[in-house]
Order: sequence, then C-alpha cells, then structure tokens
Amino acid sequence: MTSADQVSRLLALVPYLQLHADADLDQTASDFGISTAQLIADLRVLWYCGLPQGMPGDLIEIDMDAVAESGRIRLSNADYLRRPMRFTPDEALSLMVALRAVSELVGDDAAEAVRNALAKLEAAAGTPTSATVAVAGGAAGVREQLAAAITDGRQVCFDYTDAALEPSRPTVAPVRLITSDGFGYLQAWNPQRADWRTYRLDRIAEVQLTELTVPEVGEPPEFDPGWLESSADAVPVTLTVTPQLAWIAEYIPVQQVRRRDAGVELDLLVADPAWLRSLVLRLGPGLVAAAPSQLLASAVDAATEALAGYRAG
Amino acid sequence: MTQQKSERIMNLTICLLMARRFVDKAHIREVVEGYHGLSDAAFERTFERDKDELRLMGVAVETGSNDVLFPDEVGYRIRREAFELPAIEFTAAETAALGLAASVWESAAQAGQAASALAKLRAAGIDPDPSRLAGLAPRLGAHEPAFASVWDALSDRVPISFDYKGETRRVEPWAMNCRRGSWYLLGHDRDRDGARIFKLARIDSAVTRMGKAGGYGLPSSAEIDEHWQRLEPAGADDVALLALRDGRAADLRQRGIAQAEPAPAGYRTYQVSFARSSDFVADVAAYGPDVIVLAPAELRAAVIAHLQAVAGLVVR
Repeated sequence: MTSADQVSRLLALVPYLQLHADADLDQTASDFGISTAQLIADLRVLWYCGLPQGMPGDLIEIDMDAVAESGRIRLSNADYLRRPMRFTPDEALSLMVALRAVSELVGDDAAEAVRNALAKLEAAAGTPTSATVAVAGGAAGVREQLAAAITDGRQVCFDYTDAALEPSRPTVAPVRLITSDGFGYLQAWNPQRADWRTYRLDRIAEVQLTELTVPEVGEPPEFDPGWLESSADAVPVTLTVTPQLAWIAEYIPVQQVRRRDAGVELDLLVADPAWLRSLVLRLGPGLVAAAPSQLLASAVDAATEALAGYRAG
Repeated sequence: MTQQKSERIMNLTICLLMARRFVDKAHIREVVEGYHGLSDAAFERTFERDKDELRLMGVAVETGSNDVLFPDEVGYRIRREAFELPAIEFTAAETAALGLAASVWESAAQAGQAASALAKLRAAGIDPDPSRLAGLAPRLGAHEPAFASVWDALSDRVPISFDYKGETRRVEPWAMNCRRGSWYLLGHDRDRDGARIFKLARIDSAVTRMGKAGGYGLPSSAEIDEHWQRLEPAGADDVALLALRDGRAADLRQRGIAQAEPAPAGYRTYQVSFARSSDFVADVAAYGPDVIVLAPAELRAAVIAHLQAVAGLVVR
C-alpha cells in the first residue's frame, strides 16, 4: 500500500466517522474494503493529524480505548473535514462502468434507476462516462420476469434453444442472474434432473410463472457457462477454416489456433455432437477439413436432408 | 515510514484547505510538524514530492500570490469547492444499484477503484445497499493483456502507441467499450488522422504512453456514440419467407410473423426480416433441414450453395 492510497482513504474516513457516530470497527473496515488491522493503523495515523501548529487541542480526537475495548470508533474535533474528496478520474470511471454493467442485467424499471444514478455521478465527477458495456442479455422483459420470480421464490417455465439449436421447455427454480464474458445467464435448479443448470438469457423466450415454489436448494455452484459441461466425454477435434473465417476463433471455445498454408487450424474439445453439427452447417464453404472426419457425418447428413427438402419444395 | 508520510501529507492537506489565502512555503514548513528537523534541501525535495502525491490523488493544489504588486511571492492553497465532493443524493432504487456495482469488476485494480468511490459516497451519507437486488450478479472482466494500460491512458487522457495488425499505431484514447465480453478502444488515430476502433485482444505489443496527462480534447458523447454504432449489427433491410419445421428454430419463429402461405408437411411459413450485410445465410444454414428458404430467390440460392458445400465434405 502506498501512502497516497492511505491518505486518500483517510480523507474519506474522517467525514465517514463523523457521520456515523459510534461506528462499528468491523463494519467500517468492510465498508472501506480493508482489514480491521489496517483500519486501526489508519486511526493511529489520524491520531497525529489536525490543524496546523499541532497543539494538543488542534488534533483530531479518537477514543482509542473504545476502539480497543468495544470495537466502537468515536472521532471528533475534525469539523473542517465534513465532506469526502471528489472522485479521481479512475474511481469515477470504474464505478460508472460497473453501473453500466448492472443496467445490462436488470429489467427496464431498474435500468432507469441506474441511468439516473449514472447521470448524478457524471454531474458530480464533471465528466461523462467514457467507457460502456454491452451484454447479450436477451430481452429486458425476460430479465424482469426472471428477476421477479427469483424475488418471489417461484418456479418458471420457458422456451429454451440450446447451443446446438435444440429446443426444449424446462420448468426450473430460478436462483441467480449472472453475466460472464459478455453474456447474461440464468442459474437455476432443475427439479426434473435434480441438478443445477445454466441457461443463456438471449436463448430464453415465453417465460411463464408457475404456482410451484422454489425448494430449499442452497447456493448455486461456482459459475460455469457450460461449454465443457460433460468434459469427460469431450472429443478433441481439429477444424481447418479459410483465413477469411479465422475470426470464428474468438467466438467459439478453441484451445489452440495455428496458421497454415491450407488455412487456419482450430483445436477444440467438443462435448455435444449436436453443437458441432450446427457449427459445421454454419461454416459451410468456409470449412476446409476436419479431423477426425467421421465427426462431420451428421452435418453432411443434415445438409443432404435439407437439400432434399429444397428439391421437393 | 509510510505512517509518517501519510501523517505529513494529511496535515499539509488540512493546512492548505484551511488557509483563506495562499500560504507560503516558509509558513508551511513552520506549521506542519512533519517538515520539522529537515535541512533546506531535504525540505524542498520532500515538499515538492508531497505536492506531486496530492496531485496524483486528484487534489488540486493551487499556486498563486496574495499580492498583485508582488506576484513572485508564491503561495499554495486548496480551494474547498474544488476539493469536496459536490452535494449528491440518490433514491432507494439508485442506492440499490450502487450497492450491486461494488461487486461487478473481476479485475482487482478496477474493483479497488470502484470500492474507493463507494467509500466516498458512504462518507457523504449515502448507503449503497445491494440487498434490494438479490439474485443479480453482474460481472465485468478484462482478460486482454493490454487492458490495464489502455484503461489508465483513457482515464489520464494520455496518447499511446502500440502494434496492431503488424503496424505501429499512435492513438489518443477517447472511449472504451466492452461488447459481448471483448474490450474495444475508440480513439483518434494520429497517423490516419481519423477516428478508429481497435479490438484490445488484437493489440500485440506493450502499450507505450506518449506525453503527459490531459494532453488532448475529447469529442462530444453524441459523436462517440455515433462511432460505436459501427460495432452494432446492421439493421434489417430485407425480408425472407421461411418454412420452419414445427417446434424447431424457436428464435426465428420469435423474430418472424406467421404466414398463411402453404408449407411442406410438418412445416409452417414465417416472414422474417434480416440485414443483407449480416451472415443470414450461415444463420439459416446452421438449422439444417429445420429451415427452408422460400424467398427471395437469391437467398434461397445462396443457402443451397452453402449446404452443398457441407454435403460435399469428405467423410472417411
């Protein structure tokens, strides 16, 4: 920790402690994101601070006995530091961008509150937010319905299209909305499977509230977007694509990328054959080769079936 | 050591904040205890460094003279209006959002900065409370190696240079955008003399700062938004007639409007709008036999050619 960090914090701590008379030591430490030991060290510094000349009556007063005995902080004689300092540019930017991320995950009503809060912060900081966040979080209406169901503890059912474009209509107990790597997800307990499931928000539609309540299921596991959900069965595949399609590597979970004369080789682990089929169908003429090539069979069959449909129609 | 230095800078801040007039160096040396017992040279050095630290923390230390007749008699002060956080109030819904903002950043540096901004708000009597928005966990990461230096340069407004697609670029950062998990930089490209967008993941060198903070002006927010529009997918400018297999292709069904036109058995016809410049051919082909394009003819032909390429792949 540098002394600039400490001074910066002290200049907020003094008005905070005057506003929160008899502040709790642990609560204060947690509000400032520091350890109790660090907070006590901060108070020891303040003990020697005060008006110029440094005469005994000029110094900030802290009841260090109360801190030691009852974990209470009583600070006085610092009338001249009643308000915190302005935000630094980095503080303002970090907080405002975090708020923008919040607005991407909430429904319309809450998003408006976030926009208002942002406008007030921009006015206080004197600068507009120069960084923005866009999350693929599906429809605001879907998020709003799911957030309400989480608050009310009710199960929901909805249309879901998974990564392999397979449709389903699960009934689940919604527990948390979360963003990861630019996508919004629902973490929910699936009673049929008796397991946790993760659903991408932009693939959810037609949400319906049910009469079923959410059972006692505890906290969802550490978030995992589920790319390699059943990685025990995952098969290594190498796809060679034309250089024009090299950008695809940024959108699918590749393990390695190699540039070759024949094109760009992408190594990936495929857990779900249906997902690979739809990827191959999507790549079309951009796919040069695949190894092992047997894994292409279901995509080739699907394309052949589709072409038959075109001839019939 | 840090302890004494913090004490000294705190006392200097209070001294300059309480001053009604510019305070000269000799007086500061006398009244701020931390400067006692230093040689002249050591005092000068320490005082200069302390002022620099204050500026780095965002405290504006003003320099000036109290006497128009003797403008060379320099003194220092901190103006209270420039120092203090202006009055600010939030509704309950707004403080709930602020509470949630505390846990958004996955990168430690920005998380720390956001936490210290929130501590300042708490010191101003605002109580960010995330419990109203239980069940929401927005997260924001920054995995790109160039992120930290580009972020700092944007926040300090310092021009930077870096290698991008095999060329060295010199850029005045204007704004950043995290789109679907990838960070982008928008700025004025000095060599091309125009606004350019850079994907941080494609910066393949260290980022070098060129010059000092606040070194250039920024365009208006409206102009910045206009540049970012280039990252957005194009709006729909054409309409397709698609036969969708029952129970499949839910997102196309949702985007579309059901039509009365006849469809093959087990299919239903939908009108779906799309952008010609987008990858709609690939989007449709990804559904395989679940989607058949009926019109327009060019789209139908393009999808057939696309599917023929897949059907022709060699399987051994």
